[in-house]
Parts: sequence; structure tokens; C-alpha cells
Amino acid sequence: MANIREWWRRGSALIWFSGAALAFSLLMIFGLIGYIGAKGLGFFWPGAIVRVVTPEGPVLGEITGEEPDQVQFHVANRDLFGQDYRWIPRSELKEMTKPLDAVVVERLEYGPFIGRIQRVEKDGQIVQGDPQEALRRLRPAAMTLSKHIRSLDRNEVGALNRQIEDLRLELNGTPPAGRPALEARVKALQETYEATQARLEVLRNQAAAVTVTLEAADGQTKTIPLASVVRVVPSNALGAFGKTGAYLSRLWEFIADDPRESNTEGGIFPAIFGTVMMVLIMSVLVVPLGVMAALYMREYARQGWLLRALRIAVNNLAGVPSIVFGVFGLGFFVYLVGGTIDQIFFSAKLPAPTFGTGGILWAALTLALLTVPVVIVATEEALAAVPRSQREASLALGATRWQTLWNVVIPGAMPGILTGLILAMARGAGEVAPLMLTGVVKLAPSMPLDGTFPFLHLDRKFMHLGFHIYDVGFQSPNSEAAKPMVFMTALLLLLVVVVLNLFALRLRNRLRARLGGGAF
Amino acid sequence: MRSVTTILNRAKRLDRFMGRVITLGGMTIIAAVLGILIFIGKEAYPLFRAPRSRESAPVRLAPCAALLADETGTALATLDAGRGLTATIAGRSLVLPPGGPALPWTSVTAASSQGHFAAQGADGRIFFCEMQWDKPAETTDPGLWNAQPVWKGGIPSETITLLQARSLPASGIAASSTWRLVAKDAKGRLNWSETEEEAQTPLSWKTVDMPGGESPRCALWSADGTTLFVGTTQGTILAVNLGGLPRVEATAAFGEPVTALGFVLGQTSLLAGGEKGTLKALQMLRQDGQTTLQIFHQFQSMNGPVAGFMASQRDKRFLVWSSDRLAVDHLTTESRLFEAVVPDLRAGSLSARGDRIFAVDARGDLRSWTLDAPHPEISAKILWGKVHYESYPKPDYVWQSSGGTDDFEPKLSLVPLVFGTIKGTFYAMIFALPLAILGALYTSQFATPRLRDTIKPLIEIMAALPSVVLGFLAGLVLAPLFERSAMKVLLFPAATLILALALFPLWRKLPRRIRLGWGTGWEVLWVVPLLLGGLALASAFGPAFERTFLGGDFRGWLLHSHGLTYDQRNSLVVGFAMGFAVIPIIFTISEDALSAVPKSLSSASLACGASPWQTAWRVVLPTASPGIFSAVMVGLGRAIGETMIVLMATGNTPVMDWSPFNGMRTLAANIAVETPEAPVHGSLYRLLFFTAALLFCLTFLLNTAAELVRQHLRKRYESF
Repeated sequence: MANIREWWRRGSALIWFSGAALAFSLLMIFGLIGYIGAKGLGFFWPGAIVRVVTPEGPVLGEITGEEPDQVQFHVANRDLFGQDYRWIPRSELKEMTKPLDAVVVERLEYGPFIGRIQRVEKDGQIVQGDPQEALRRLRPAAMTLSKHIRSLDRNEVGALNRQIEDLRLELNGTPPAGRPALEARVKALQETYEATQARLEVLRNQAAAVTVTLEAADGQTKTIPLASVVRVVPSNALGAFGKTGAYLSRLWEFIADDPRESNTEGGIFPAIFGTVMMVLIMSVLVVPLGVMAALYMREYARQGWLLRALRIAVNNLAGVPSIVFGVFGLGFFVYLVGGTIDQIFFSAKLPAPTFGTGGILWAALTLALLTVPVVIVATEEALAAVPRSQREASLALGATRWQTLWNVVIPGAMPGILTGLILAMARGAGEVAPLMLTGVVKLAPSMPLDGTFPFLHLDRKFMHLGFHIYDVGFQSPNSEAAKPMVFMTALLLLLVVVVLNLFALRLRNRLRARLGGGAF
Repeated sequence: MRSVTTILNRAKRLDRFMGRVITLGGMTIIAAVLGILIFIGKEAYPLFRAPRSRESAPVRLAPCAALLADETGTALATLDAGRGLTATIAGRSLVLPPGGPALPWTSVTAASSQGHFAAQGADGRIFFCEMQWDKPAETTDPGLWNAQPVWKGGIPSETITLLQARSLPASGIAASSTWRLVAKDAKGRLNWSETEEEAQTPLSWKTVDMPGGESPRCALWSADGTTLFVGTTQGTILAVNLGGLPRVEATAAFGEPVTALGFVLGQTSLLAGGEKGTLKALQMLRQDGQTTLQIFHQFQSMNGPVAGFMASQRDKRFLVWSSDRLAVDHLTTESRLFEAVVPDLRAGSLSARGDRIFAVDARGDLRSWTLDAPHPEISAKILWGKVHYESYPKPDYVWQSSGGTDDFEPKLSLVPLVFGTIKGTFYAMIFALPLAILGALYTSQFATPRLRDTIKPLIEIMAALPSVVLGFLAGLVLAPLFERSAMKVLLFPAATLILALALFPLWRKLPRRIRLGWGTGWEVLWVVPLLLGGLALASAFGPAFERTFLGGDFRGWLLHSHGLTYDQRNSLVVGFAMGFAVIPIIFTISEDALSAVPKSLSSASLACGASPWQTAWRVVLPTASPGIFSAVMVGLGRAIGETMIVLMATGNTPVMDWSPFNGMRTLAANIAVETPEAPVHGSLYRLLFFTAALLFCLTFLLNTAAELVRQHLRKRYESF
């Protein structure tokens, strides 16, 4: 017993206690990453479709949640049932089966359908044979058709619309003498536009001719054009191989496709693309700014109390809340700079703003300001770490200060600069609050980079992974149905940020090892 | 071949050039970065600028009894018993279409701020006029404008002194609008009447009986036309309900004879002016079945009998005038935006926007001023003090920036937001501080070097987790989880402790070799299963505990025995989620500070026989305390400015309540919520910039303090 009292008195218990504090923090991290990973990656795996009989009738769906006294079913069929998920008390569950002919049909509208394929019709005639087989046979053609319609609708019609709009603006600023020629061009374009619309109409009718009729668990049926079927997953009939196939196909759709149903389904490609574009533009802006400021502070400015104060100020800027930068970006870049640009260059379009509203350039500039302290600090450290002997050797050989900097110091500091850049990118990719004020939107009609002149549209609004999480998780009317997708988006964002950080960490460690670590 | 000198010269030129470019560029960038605060401050500054006014050159008009200005203050109408209605636009007199009461008028009411008035003609017929200005679409040139007074009625009546006519919009089956009139007869009694707009039958006047024999001086209909406010010579203000049987609903003692009554925008606040110039605002309050007339604002005196009021149609400012001065006051702030002395003043007018003021004196000289007071509703008292808003029973701190109606008054107290910020930071810090500092102490003093090298980067990665992911998890996963199993969460620490005490004897029984070899420096890994066990224990016994002690429902128990409500998104959730953001920052800086404590100190302590914990706690920790202080400062800065987590994990309701089971609204989240909706350069927009500047300064100061302490520390240990 005395032993224990001694153990307590000497504080060993408290060592354990402090160890527990650390363990708890570590559990928090692993718990978070593990939870998001499991939820996100598990989402695409085709689960078993279970049929049960309840007092209110048969229910068909995937089991998505279990509690001691009730089970959550993903019953889908939003257009028929009004809700995607249902909690059913365990006591009411009877006759659990996994019917082999049950399928999950992912559609362009109203979310997935869980049920049975009743029949496939072409031009009003029922296609003979096994409906699943018929569906498999007819789907490739329908998919090609729907893709064609979509691309026609988006690219050609969109381009025509833009051209007509541009000509109209030009027309407003043209003296009466020059107008007839322009008006003729507008007319020609409008004719092309109508012809394209007519072509689209024909294609749409063609697509509507092949339909599939689905039957829900309670016997209700729904007939939809085959062209609006994205994927058919007969989960219960699939083996591990088939399930993996469905999983990968869903994962690919998520990464490479456009969102549907107000972002709750489909892919998040525009958000990935927007995030990458924004971070790239930010990097292009932040590196010269940060490196130049660091070079000035370390190599050119007179060292003294003023510079020390400046250095503290710049360092502390990294601790200023990001939303403050957002407010600054809105007031300065969007309203002041953007508004002025609009007045000077885009006055024809006013009052509709071009640069005087949030856009990818303003968001990138705001984030560049937010992350520039990171680059400055890293670059300064790296510059300071370049051994004095190397500089002196260069200077002794008669090189000028700039030659020494350019040929000796900067190459030596390169890993440090890169570390700063990567840390800045990681920080920039994860920030959402300032973007909400400077140009991110839930659904951007067009990408900031596309095939129309001038290709890079810095004035366009963009989508962003982080904002996607906020928007779908918190602003969406159907956030329960969208939650799994948000997990996947969060996982993706987490992955980007963590990988970038790990990379920066590795780079910094290698640099430290090379330079002996003393300077940091 | 180029000569060496050319090459050298070129190199030198390049050197000089690049030197200049970098110096200039570097200075510009640093200036730009520091200019952020200046820009934000500049955007917020107009909020606090004193109102400015400028007088235009006076114009000679004919003497008149009342003045009426249009929205912009460009067009002006004058009312005079002898000359009737006249109108000028930018100094140009207009010929008005015929119509209206026959000249000379026997009486005319003051004009309301919407441009309505009533007049009785020489033939006794009473007309009601809506002054309208015909401004063709898209003309800004006042030369093309015209006046279009719309005369209605023409109802015969006995001769009487009209005080006010209120037109009530048509309702139900009545096709035309009705009017309610109030007037004084030759004996000084108050009379009221109600009529259809197109009625041909003569008006029948009903006398309003005054209780206690008080003599009425002025009167005003309420917005719905059911209550008549009367000011008396005896210094009382009465609210007489004339909806059914006449009855006095409420009275208020004013203190001196009441000479004028008026409304502020929204027509809920009644303005009253007295004979000696006292100026007060009243409101009708209906509470617990009782109606009271509450005096809730008082303004600077007018130093003379108050003659009239006119309200702005944009905000809560109003014009008031007496016989020799006129002033513009703001209802809520009670501040005087404008004051001018005009001898022999007859009438004043305020443009609907409230930016032009007119006054006409006995000789007919028209004087006018422009008033530049874009943000009269903001003052230090509004932001930081308790304010008595309309329809609130008492002064309070309120943040409510937007409402459903046009005449909604934004309530912009920063106190609830600052309170929310402090509350969020407080809960984040009480959760994060012990974990981070103890964890740092453990890592730097007790962990084996290998463990330490793995843990540090891990925690650094934690610092980089995007806050939107944390917020999403907190709002959509943790909040419902905590709600379902609040009891389990609260029991978790106790359960872990009990488990630890239970397992302790077992640990002591293990061979000493294992305990020392695998235990020392690796405690962390042994604790992980312990924590998980504690979690399992809490989950297993939580429901039983809840049933036995709290009647089966934690939230119900909380409400019944403590009167606390449980919001799903509450401070516990925010504190926990913000821990993810704050712990790594405090941990990293503290760990650096603790590791930097010279080995000689701890070695000396150990050599004197102190245990490792005693050394860590009594020697290392105090030595590193400035470093830990700086860690806490930086952590505080992060917690104060954190936006997404708070935005997503709280309900963002600006309540002032310390309960850990409610949410809050912080300054940073408030900026994110309100800025996209705020009209550019409006009061709210500028106020949000002001709060951004506040956040900037606060975090900047915290970080600077931290940095100075750290530098000081670094210098101190250089000698070791």
C-alpha cells in the first residue's frame, strides 16, 4: 500500500493522466479520419436489397442504419413515396428476403429507384424476352443518345446564345449606319439556333420512344425514358466481382461527372475542377509576391527594429481570421477594383456586373493574400538557412549581389520556397469562409476554363469542394439523402489537404536533414 | 566578342535594377498586406462620422402655413389658406390643374410625410389631397417633372378647424377608402368624424369627451384609425379608442402643455412636443391585457413651443420645428443630426429620404439644407449599450439585422455577438487547453523519442484539417449523436476514471520488467484501450444511469430541474469540434517551448531526487510558462476567428445565455451569415466591416503578444 501512495505522491499517476490527454487527442484525429473514410468509401458499395413485410405493406430497400429497436431503410423512389429513408420498428419486420430480381435504378431525376423492372418498351411495343436482358441490350444506344443531346444542349446552344448576346451588346454601341450588317448576323445566328433546337427536339422524341417501366415494392409503377437511366445495379444478383464493378463505376461517376438533383447526386467534377483552378491561380499569384517580399526583407532591407516589427506583423497576419480576408476581398477586389474595371471596360453590360461580382480571380487573390504570410515565412527561413560560406564564395568570385541571389541563394532556398508554396496550397484548398464572400457558388453554369475565347474566364463564379460540403450538408432541402455524398466530398478534400501537408512535411524534413537542422 | 567590361557593366546594371525592383516590390507587398486593416477601417469609418449639413442659398416664396417636399427634395409644395396649394420644382413655379377646395380655405391640416393633407374650402366642402409628382420614367431632369395633386372628396361640412385627416384603405365590401377626421370647433372642443370618400351627405361631427375637463390642444389618428392620440393643455397625452364606444385606453403624463404630435416611420412611435420645447417619444404597449402609453425616448429640448413634426420615409429620423428653430433627431439613438435657428419660422419639411430640409419663415423666405447623415442609426450606445427599440417593453441588447417589412428597424447591438464569441471561445478553450498542454508536457518530457517523432507530425496534420470538414462533422454527425447520447458523453470521463482505478491493481501485478520497459514512455498506447473501454462502459451504463437517476430522459430532466433547454447544435458540440482546430496549435507551440527548456535545469532537479513528474510540473512547466502563454494566445486567436465550425455546428441564434446546451452566434459566423445579404455601403455592410476590423485587431494583438513573449523566451535561453 505504501508503494501505491509513493507512486501517487511522486506523480506517476499524473504522467498517466497527461498521457491520457494525448491519447484522447490522437483518438480524435484517427476517429475523425477513420469515420469519414469509412462513411465516404462505403457509400458506393452496392448493399443488399432487402424485402420485408410490414403491417403497412411490403418494403424494399437497403438497410442503412440500425438501432436497438428500429432499422433504417433506404427505400428511394422519392417521386412515389416522398421520402428516401424510413425507420421501421424491429417488431414490425417480417419475412426478410433478398429477391434476386430487385434492382437499384439510378435515374437523372428523383434519385434512385428501388424495385423490379417490369417491361421495356420501344415505340410503344413491349420488347420481348427478359426485361433485364432487353434493358442491357438497349441501354448503350440510349446512353449515347442522351449524351449527344446533353452535349448539343450545353455546347452548341450555349455557344450560340453567347454569340447572339455579344452581338446584341455590340449592336447597342454601334452607330445606325453599321447596324443592318450586325442585325443580319444576329438573324442568321437566330436561324441556326432554331435549327439546332429543332434537331434537339427530334433527338428528344427519339430518346423518349424507348421507355422502361419500373415496379416498386408496393406495386406502383413508373415509366421513364431509358435515356434517363444512369445505371442499373441488380445488387442481390451480383457477385463480388460485379459489385466491385458497380462500385468503381459509381466512384468514377462521382469524380468525373456533373452534379444532378441540386448537387445531391451525380458527380462533383466541377467542384474538383474549381478547387484545383482556384488553387492554381492562387499559387501563381502567391509565389512571386511572397518570394519578393521575403527577398526584400531578408536580403535588401536594412535590418533594424522597424523590420523586426514588420516581420512580426506579417507573421501575425497568418493568424487573422480568414473571414476577415473574405470581407476585405469583397470590399476591395469585388466592389472597388471589380467595379472600376466594369466601369471602364464593360460599361456596355452594366448594370449586369462582369468583374464587379464575385469570381474566381477575386477568390484566388483573396486567398493569395491570406496565404502570402506562409510563403514569406517559409522563404525567409530558407534564405536564412543558405550557408554564409556559399554566398561569400560567390561574392568573392566577383558575382554581383543579384547574381549571387539568383544563382546561389535562391536555388539553395528552393525546397523551402516549395514547402511554403505547398503549405499555402493546402491552406488555400481547405479555406471556405472567404470564398463564400468572393465568388463561390453552389452550382456554376459554366467552368472557369473552357473552349470559348478567351478560354480562361477569370470573372466566372466557380464551385468548390469545401463550399459543396457546406452547401449540400446545410443548405440542401434533402440533406439526409445527400449526407453520404458529403462524406465522400469531405474525404476527398481531407485527402487533398493531408497529402499536400505530408508532402510539405517530407520536403521540410529532407531540407532540414540536408542543412543540419540548426537554422530552423 | 564582347569585352569583359560590357559584361560586367551589364551585370552591374542588372544588379542595380533587380535591387530596385525587389525593394520596391517587397515594400509594396508589405504595404499592401498591412493596408488590409486600413481598407477595412476606411469602409467602416462613415458609420461614426458626425452628420454634415450644408445650407443652400435662400429663395423668396410667399408666406405659407405648411410645406411639402418630394422624395428627393427637388420639388416643393406650399399650403396657405389664402393662396391654396402652390408647387415649385427646382425654383420653377408650376400652374396646377384646377380642382380642390374653393379659395380662400377656412382651414388646412399639416401635411403628412406621405404628402397627404385635408383642407376646407370657402364653401365649407372638405377635400383630401394626395400630393403626387409626375416624373416621367428615366428622367432625372426636374425640368420635365410636373406636380399632380390628386383631390378627393368635397364633402360638405360646417366650418371647423381641421387637425388631421387619415385615409384608411378600402376594406371588405366598401369600394372606396374611408377617412377619419379630427378637428377643433369654435369652442375649442375636439370633434371627430368618419366618412366614405365619395359620400355626398354632410359630415356629422361627434365630440370627443375629455376626462377630468382637460382641454385638448392637438390630436392625431393612429395608423389603423381606431385610436386618437390627444395632447392637452394640462400636459397629458391620451389614447382614446374610437373603434367602438369611445373609451380612454391609456394616458401618459407629459409634464407640460402638449403642442404637437407626430409619428416616426412605421407609425408605432408617437412623438410629442411641449410648450417649453420638451421632446419625447411614446409607444402603446399591450402587455398582460393592460395597455399603457410608455414614454421611451427623450430628445434634446427645442427651447420653445414645438410646432410640428415630419418623419423620414427611409429611417427613424424626423424633423421637428418650433417657432424659431428646426432640428432633425433620430428616434432610437436620440441623437440630434441637425439643428438650425430660423427666426419667425412658420413651417418645415423633410424630404422622404430625409436628406433635404426646408424651412419657411414669416416673410416667405425659404431656406434649405442638405443633410449628409448616411448612418444615423449607428452610435456607440447602439452597438454597446442597452437600447429601447419600438415595441420592446424595455431596453435590451438585440441583434436582428433584417425583417420582413419595409419599415423594419434593424437592431444592431454587438453585445450578443461579442458574448457569443466569448462563449464559443470559452467552451473551446476549457476543452482544448488541458488536453493540449498536458499532451505537450507528456510528449516533451515523458514520451520516448520515437513516439515523439511520430506524434508531432500527426498533430501538425490535425492543424491542417479543413474547418469546413470539422464543421460538417460537428453539425451533422456529432450534434445528433450528442443529442441521442448526451448522458453517455457526460459519463465518459467518470467511466474512464472508474475503469482506470479498477485496472490499476492488475497493472501493479504485472512484472516490473514489463511495467518499466514497456510502460515508461509508452503510456499513451496503454491508455488508448483504457479510453475505448471507458467509452464502452459509458455506453453500457449510460441508459441505466439515465433511467435510475434522471427519470429516463436527460433532456427532460435538464428542462424540469434546471430550466435549461437542450439545442441540438450547442456549445458542447462547438467546443469539441473547435478542439480539433485549437488543440494542435496550442500543442505545437507549447511542445516547442517545453522542449526548449534547457536540459541542465531538469537534470539538476532529477539529480536532487525529484520524480520525473515533479520535475516536469515544478521546473519545466514554470520555466516554459511564457511559451505556453503565447501558445494560449495564438489558440485564442484561432478560436475567436473560427468561422465555418461555428457556422455549421451552432444554430447561429444571437442569444445571451451561458448554458453549454444552447448555441450562440459569434462575430465571425455573423459576418459569414450576413455579408452576402448586406446592401453595399449600407449601415449593415459597414457594421460588418467594423466587426471584421475588430476581429483583425483582436487576433493581431493576441498574436503579437504571443510573438513578443516567444522572442523574449528565445533570447533568454540563448545563453544556455
